[in-house]
Amino acid sequence: MEKKKVVINEVLKVEDLRTYFYSYAKEAFIRSVDSVSFSIRKGEVLGIVGESGCGKSITAQSVLGLITDGPGIISGNIFLTHNGKTINLLEGLPDYVSVKTKRKAILEIAKDVTGWLKRSEILMKGIRGKVISMIFQNPKSALNPFITVGEQIAESILLHSSISAKKEAIDAAAKWLERVQIDSPSMRLYDYPFGLSGGMCQRVMIAMALSSEPALLIADEPTTGLDVTIQTKIIELLKQLKEELNLTILLITHDMSVIMQLADRIAVMYGGRIVEYGLKREIMDSSSFIRHPYTIALLNSQPTVEEIKMKERLRAIKGDVPDTITLYRGCRFYERCDLKNDRVKKKCKEAEPEMIEIGVGHYMRCYLAEG
Amino acid sequence: MRTRYIQRGAEVSEFSQIPIWRRANKKDLIQIGFGLFVVFFVLSSYITAVLHLLPYDPLKINLKEMMQSPDYRHILGTDFMGRDILSRIIVGSQAYFMPGLLSIIIALFFGIMAGLVSGYNGGMTDSIISYILDLIDSIPKMVIILLAIAFFRPGIYFIMLIVGITNIPTVASLIKSKVIFLKKRNFIEAGKALGLKTRDIIFKHILWYNCKAIVIIQATLGMAEVILIETSLSYLGFGVQEPEPSWGNMVAAGKDYFFMGDFFLSTAPAAAILISILGFYLLGDGLNNLLEWRRKR
Amino acid sequence: MKYTILWKPILKLVLREFFIAILLLLSVSILIFSILKLAPGDPLHIFINIQTQNPEEIAAIKREFGLDRSIAVQYLSWLNNLIHGNFGNSFRTGRPVFGELIKVGVNTLILTIGSMIVTLLIAIPIAVISSLRRCPFLSWGLTLFAYILSSLPVFWLGYIAIYIFTKKFNLFPFLSAGAASGFRINWIYFLLPIIVLGIGNGSISEIIRHMRAQLERVLSEDYIKAAKAKGASIWRHSFKEGILIPVTTMIAAKIPFILGGAVVVEQVFNWPGMGRLAWQAALDRDYPVIMGITIFAAVVVHLGRLSQTIVFAFVNPQTSEKGEAA
Repeated sequence: MEKKKVVINEVLKVEDLRTYFYSYAKEAFIRSVDSVSFSIRKGEVLGIVGESGCGKSITAQSVLGLITDGPGIISGNIFLTHNGKTINLLEGLPDYVSVKTKRKAILEIAKDVTGWLKRSEILMKGIRGKVISMIFQNPKSALNPFITVGEQIAESILLHSSISAKKEAIDAAAKWLERVQIDSPSMRLYDYPFGLSGGMCQRVMIAMALSSEPALLIADEPTTGLDVTIQTKIIELLKQLKEELNLTILLITHDMSVIMQLADRIAVMYGGRIVEYGLKREIMDSSSFIRHPYTIALLNSQPTVEEIKMKERLRAIKGDVPDTITLYRGCRFYERCDLKNDRVKKKCKEAEPEMIEIGVGHYMRCYLAEG
Repeated sequence: MRTRYIQRGAEVSEFSQIPIWRRANKKDLIQIGFGLFVVFFVLSSYITAVLHLLPYDPLKINLKEMMQSPDYRHILGTDFMGRDILSRIIVGSQAYFMPGLLSIIIALFFGIMAGLVSGYNGGMTDSIISYILDLIDSIPKMVIILLAIAFFRPGIYFIMLIVGITNIPTVASLIKSKVIFLKKRNFIEAGKALGLKTRDIIFKHILWYNCKAIVIIQATLGMAEVILIETSLSYLGFGVQEPEPSWGNMVAAGKDYFFMGDFFLSTAPAAAILISILGFYLLGDGLNNLLEWRRKR
Repeated sequence: MKYTILWKPILKLVLREFFIAILLLLSVSILIFSILKLAPGDPLHIFINIQTQNPEEIAAIKREFGLDRSIAVQYLSWLNNLIHGNFGNSFRTGRPVFGELIKVGVNTLILTIGSMIVTLLIAIPIAVISSLRRCPFLSWGLTLFAYILSSLPVFWLGYIAIYIFTKKFNLFPFLSAGAASGFRINWIYFLLPIIVLGIGNGSISEIIRHMRAQLERVLSEDYIKAAKAKGASIWRHSFKEGILIPVTTMIAAKIPFILGGAVVVEQVFNWPGMGRLAWQAALDRDYPVIMGITIFAAVVVHLGRLSQTIVFAFVNPQTSEKGEAA
């Protein structure tokens, strides 16, 4: 792995992030995010892609410290660089405890976590919304139904910018609404979220998130739950805004086409781990013949126009996402892997492959790549 | 949040596999245990009273043993007429037990019916039923009871019938909101599409699978309320009359002694009231946490 | 700035609720009137027996009370009297019921509203703390404490309060007969029943349960997470749906409950209120008084519900938009 050195133009650097939840029912940890590392440079879009249930959203929420639910563990390092200063968002967290833990120990962890959460809240206060903003999936439920759209954007502006008069903030909110291409923004300011369509709500969310001019925007499945035509428009909008404002985006999606359109760098997640990580042109380049079997499967499950024309069957990935409770000795993708051959089969079963560099900044977790 | 990465289908099957005592929280188990202890106490004292298995006759006046403090012969002492307080407290449970059950059965039966019908059918039926239930809800329970007492001088069973009727709206609205919730999630349409009979959908899938918790919780809370009302009425002099014991009139009878500094006569039955109501509350709350577990976590 | 309160739908909604309330109150009056007619024996039986045995005089009294006309006419005239504030005369004192009701009704309203405030002051903090799930044992302890408070028999709690404050501190005369003038002088006498009823009315546990459930649900909503992600206060965002609406619901739902508890507390403290009057009327079978009280109580209950509707309409824009209560 890379050394613990923060490159100057890296906005966010995540090292060995683990987010575990304790399940009372199973009396075991659910290892939603298991030793994940990645970094985002300024003006870059990092896309995290994977099936639902692979821990993408949890990763994003861990970065922003939004996970407060029940006993569990968040550990690792998250370095955030802003205005020349670098801070670790997970400073002072107790070391993670072995996965097989008894109930009594869990209470101890829970106590620690409570204390840590308090510290995290203080640390995060100046960061949430100001340095890192987030947009959510299902925009309709992510907007407060009891407050007008204008007021919600204005609140964000009042909190994070030099504007302190409410009237000015409302004007600024109108400007932002215009910027995200909402018609007649001065009218829409006084609408409640339930009066708006899903696409409009997502535009409002984007306006709200960008109004504080954040260093990093986390887009958690920004197109899920929207109509396809609106999806395209939202992606177009994000693309445009990215060019205009030189945004740095952590894009989380299960939709390969979204990744193709927006991302510069890709991290493919499976079962709580990153299995492949690298520049988009490296991974998607048709000439590169080394790819992780899971990435290939994901790409294949996306039908191309030619395939639709030829009425071919959709190639779904067989099997299901593995549960993240069971401890696997071998590769997590083993059961579903199409490419496993006799040469590596034994190794795949025995031990999990390490992350190895196969190209410039292109990492992969597969024995096939070892050659 | 945790459900997001457990697959939907997996979640359901997972919960049905886990035995109920393992998903329970320790606190819930303590609450339920205490509640069950109280239920056991109430039930056994009722049976003891019915079978006349008491050490002392609760009505027997024994002026030689007036106002005794607790000792091995009278575990809770004796009152101002030398009657054994423990026996009186045990017999006092008779005052509300059967009438209370009657009121709960009435409230649950009609409440479930009204809730199911108005939630399932909606429209005009719903309006009419809601109107009737609103009408019942318009007058405070206690005032209705006092009204009935003024006009009819009814017995405890009649009063508890009224209590049962006044509890119908609560049960009905809970069941109704549950049915509407299920309806919104296309639960009922799905059942119909699968070719289930309406009767099966209503009674098996709505009532049994989804309203069980509400019914059990309402029954326990109903018992707590029955104790509250019966003791209040007896205290006011409308329920069970002296010399027949009831927790409420025992507290009232001990009043003069209370202000003279002899707290025990009032406090012993008051403690019985406190413990039993608390027991039913905690039982209800614990069961609520246990049975509605999936929704909570 | 343009405000977004939609007056027209709110007005429509409130008016509709108002008409329903009127309709319900009319039904209540019909119900009570039929109970009056259904009551075993002649409703005036006791009264007449006390006054006279002479059949002519009985007939005269019956005519005086309008009992010789048909039931519908009797009801209409009775209702007409009600609307004009004439609830009849008390059998016991012979004075008009309405005046007496107003006199004691104010006392009971003070008691009820005061204890509602006490109850909420206890219940809301506990509900908020336990919905946070930050310190599980503290919140469990507080909840248990609240449950014990709400299972305390209110009359016994009253005894203890009286004992402590009269015998130990000599703060006010024990069970003063002239209580009506008494409590103006001694504020503790005034506060004590309010606090006792506030603690012991038995609704604390239910308010906590309801509020905790609502607040937990709201705090797990997506929009609260989004608010947190943008650095805003989650309390500002969850206040309307998580606190204001459940509190209003509970206030409206628990008014009848506390009115009922007032009957007992007024008895314990000799508080000259409606509950005591109702108790006396029930003992004496004083029909006009108890009917007056019933209607008074029903009016109070519906006023509570109407204010709930108004709060909902203003708080929840969706309600006012759709023109129906959520």
